[in-house]
Amino acid sequence: MDIFFQQLANGLTIGSIFALVALGYTMVYGVMRLINFAHGDMVAASAFVGLTIYTQVMGQATSLVAVVAIFFLAAVVMAGVGIILERLAYRPLREAPRLSAVVSALGASLMIQNGIMLIWGPQMRIFPELIPNISWEINGVVISLIQVLILTLSLALMVALYLFVEKTRMGAAIRASAIDQDAARLMGINVNKIIAIIFIIGSSLGAVGGLFIGLYYRGITFNMGWQYGLYAFIAAILGGIGNIPGAMLGGMLLGLFQAFIAGYVSSTWADAFTFILLILILIVRPTGLLGERVAEKV
Amino acid sequence: MKRTIRNMLLTLCAISMMAGLSWADTLKVGVQAPITGSYANEGQGIENGVRLMAEQINAKGGVMGKQIEVIACDDQGTAMAAAICAKDLVNKGVSMVVGSYTSTCAEAAQKTYFKAGVLQTSDGTADSLTEHGYWTFLRNSFPNSAEAAFAASYMVNVKKYQRIAVISDFSSYAAGLAEATVAEIKKAGGNVVTYAKIKAGAQNFTPVLTNIKSKKPDVIFFAGYYSDGGQLRSQQKALKINADFIGGDANDNPDFVKLAGSNAEGAFIINVPSPDVLPYPIAKTFIADYQKKFGSMPPSIWGLMNIDGMRAIIHAMEHNQSFDTKKAADYLHNMDKPLDGITGQISFAADGNRKGGAYVVKRITADGSYSNEYAQ
Amino acid sequence: MNILKRYGLPIFLVVLLILPNLLDPRWQAIAITFLIFSVVALSEDIVLGKAGMFNMGHALFFGMGAYITAILNSQYGWPILATIPVAVLVPALFGIIFAGPIVHLRGDYLLVVTIGINIVFIQVLQNNLGGVTGGPNGIFGLDGLNLFGWQLTSQLSTYYFAFIAMLVTLAVMRNLEKSKAGRALHYLREDSLASESIGINTRTYKIFAFGLGAGLAGLAGTVFATQYSAVSPEAFNFMQSVLFFSIVLVGGSSIPGIFLGVFVMFILPEIFREFSTWRYFVFGFAMILTMILRPHGIWPASFGKIPKFLIKDTDHGA
Repeated sequence: MDIFFQQLANGLTIGSIFALVALGYTMVYGVMRLINFAHGDMVAASAFVGLTIYTQVMGQATSLVAVVAIFFLAAVVMAGVGIILERLAYRPLREAPRLSAVVSALGASLMIQNGIMLIWGPQMRIFPELIPNISWEINGVVISLIQVLILTLSLALMVALYLFVEKTRMGAAIRASAIDQDAARLMGINVNKIIAIIFIIGSSLGAVGGLFIGLYYRGITFNMGWQYGLYAFIAAILGGIGNIPGAMLGGMLLGLFQAFIAGYVSSTWADAFTFILLILILIVRPTGLLGERVAEKV
Repeated sequence: MKRTIRNMLLTLCAISMMAGLSWADTLKVGVQAPITGSYANEGQGIENGVRLMAEQINAKGGVMGKQIEVIACDDQGTAMAAAICAKDLVNKGVSMVVGSYTSTCAEAAQKTYFKAGVLQTSDGTADSLTEHGYWTFLRNSFPNSAEAAFAASYMVNVKKYQRIAVISDFSSYAAGLAEATVAEIKKAGGNVVTYAKIKAGAQNFTPVLTNIKSKKPDVIFFAGYYSDGGQLRSQQKALKINADFIGGDANDNPDFVKLAGSNAEGAFIINVPSPDVLPYPIAKTFIADYQKKFGSMPPSIWGLMNIDGMRAIIHAMEHNQSFDTKKAADYLHNMDKPLDGITGQISFAADGNRKGGAYVVKRITADGSYSNEYAQ
Repeated sequence: MNILKRYGLPIFLVVLLILPNLLDPRWQAIAITFLIFSVVALSEDIVLGKAGMFNMGHALFFGMGAYITAILNSQYGWPILATIPVAVLVPALFGIIFAGPIVHLRGDYLLVVTIGINIVFIQVLQNNLGGVTGGPNGIFGLDGLNLFGWQLTSQLSTYYFAFIAMLVTLAVMRNLEKSKAGRALHYLREDSLASESIGINTRTYKIFAFGLGAGLAGLAGTVFATQYSAVSPEAFNFMQSVLFFSIVLVGGSSIPGIFLGVFVMFILPEIFREFSTWRYFVFGFAMILTMILRPHGIWPASFGKIPKFLIKDTDHGA
């Protein structure tokens, strides 16, 4: 049984990172009906930005304040990049055919990924041990400090986001824009502003996820964004794309699914199982677990 | 149509023969190495070393009066690019190729060189490299099976581990080393509790390690590369798996220690000796020249082994007083007396494997440096 | 402009026919690469451009053809040319079977499913399913071309092999444009609901397009395996699919546009080798810029080739 609980803890940790990244995909898709392919690379970029902030701005200081500052600054930087990305690559294409925006998103992804390579080089960069290496063993299940941090911080952020979207006026405007942009505009909602806010939130959540990856696994490469982006995107579809609680649920479930497949079935086929699951979900229930049935606009 | 094609072919042949004649005043040495990509520093080390060696030979008048011309091709560490490189180098008329660094790339290029009669010397350690019966291939390192035998005997006979877990990734090098080690452990009467595979670069290895934990091993032998090895070691300690960690030769990289951080201490790494401890006089002068020219140590012993392979082929040509590659290979396969090399004495078995083997076990200390634990 | 439209393609083909005799081996190899990737991109155009299905896994069919040739040649000793029917039919059949349950998905979902199946394919190759794919290394050392006992091992013969594959592809696309299926695909891309209501069986035509594109990509795979005498999984991963997807859309889903796209993506980097690290960064930028300035691609396709017999009664159909 301790193996089961250990895999549960493993799965929830990686799952909460997936969930944070998935939120960026789902919010953008919800309002703009666009798969933001560049989001995964934004996540990778945030890990590199965080590392640079640590070495250049913080002067390699290791303290609680330093860690908090890294998270805060990296989120601010990435939010800025997100706004620029939306302004330059997506806004001019809002009225263009759907595929044009997809190509633009792919182009942005290539640009960011290779921009990281040009700035930081093609080799693996390594994060210092910023979070003390502490862990506890409870009935054979080991949980480390960083796992606890990742889980609690992600959950706190997700609850905050949920409350923001459900309980505030701004949140209502976001939900309205997701349902019908034109109607929202007629109701006096500034849709451009809403989209900018969505990119700020999505990019900063992604930045937190990217820093978690750096702090937890320590080795970061310029092309790791595709891998996390793809998993997070699957998580978003699993929960029902466009649906915010769905992305959270999807991320957690995908993390657990991967941990149990790798742990109990076969680590060599984990990716194949993940994508077969995805294909089956799309065939059987394309709207995901929490998504509502929407007809394709004709 | 058929006739036109034939005429075109004939013209092409004639052109290339004429071109061949006009080029014949240099000895063309190809370098096929990962000059960019994940193994870029190793690949650049090979290219630098070959260029330096060529420069030194040319300064002494070349090979039987011919100057050496080095032609490098970047295989990026991928099989496809390696296959393209092989065609490219053969088209450019090289008579020998040094490289590549990884077994995968060496193997992807092998047949092309064999068909063209171009000698190839590589430090690739996969056993399969010498199993095709290509007379053109000369391994300048020691095969995985030699490392596997050493690792197995060290774990079973020296450390007396009772429960051994083996992990590899999917690359031909890692899977080959892991499978050979499992076989050798069983031969030595040891007990392999599990053999698991991971996906290189996946980062999250805790699900696999959790499974391994339940098998209660007293040692984990990892046959893959340092970028995964460092993370495995780190996650092993985080999961409190109380087992020793032994990494195969590809874990011998400073980044292993950086990735594992404070968890690196106590891990063992099996490898051939590093360049700075090579006792041979020829090694000391070459490494000093290398440092003077490039401002850094050679990245590892692998580049130096490749240089030794190149020196052996040139030695054979000079001994035969002929640039014929087949004759050179015949001589190398039946050397009466080994050649003194940078990495020790070098001679080849009939299948193209380098004879001998010299492995050491290093232990990572608290400050991240190595202490020598055991030597063959 | 009219002259260019009318004689552009034949002139281009004649140039391609003569070209390799003027090139050194390195440039011949590059020209072969151009032909192979053009065939793949044109076949992707049938699925993506002509049938309007968001297929981002096309490298799968390309790779399937290449692997079938490699396996049949290296394991069972078939001559390369004899593997062509299998290397075309198996991907085509797989395309049809795979497309069956997913054609009804809406665009973005189709995109994700095709990415997914591409990734599953790569993992199957890497895990060496059935012990025939050679694992992560792939398969090396295939034979050269062999026609009635003639050993056609020179690059020039591979070039003409690739050239014939491209002629076949162009012929298929030309016929498709003029045929009933082509018109049906055109209507359903323009307005699938309307076309269904006038009695076009959307599903059948979409599946047909998928199978056709997959088969042609398989043919390109055979040429690819011949040219490099090697196949390995990373040559067919989904990044390649992304490139083919982008080439079709950036080019504007027209034949000249696609040739231009392949040239820019695969040939220009060979000419400007010193900029190779900047390659994808510049491409990314160019993709965004093209879509903003020309949302329908650099050279948008026009559907103007209604067969003559529909317009005039005097001529009968081709």
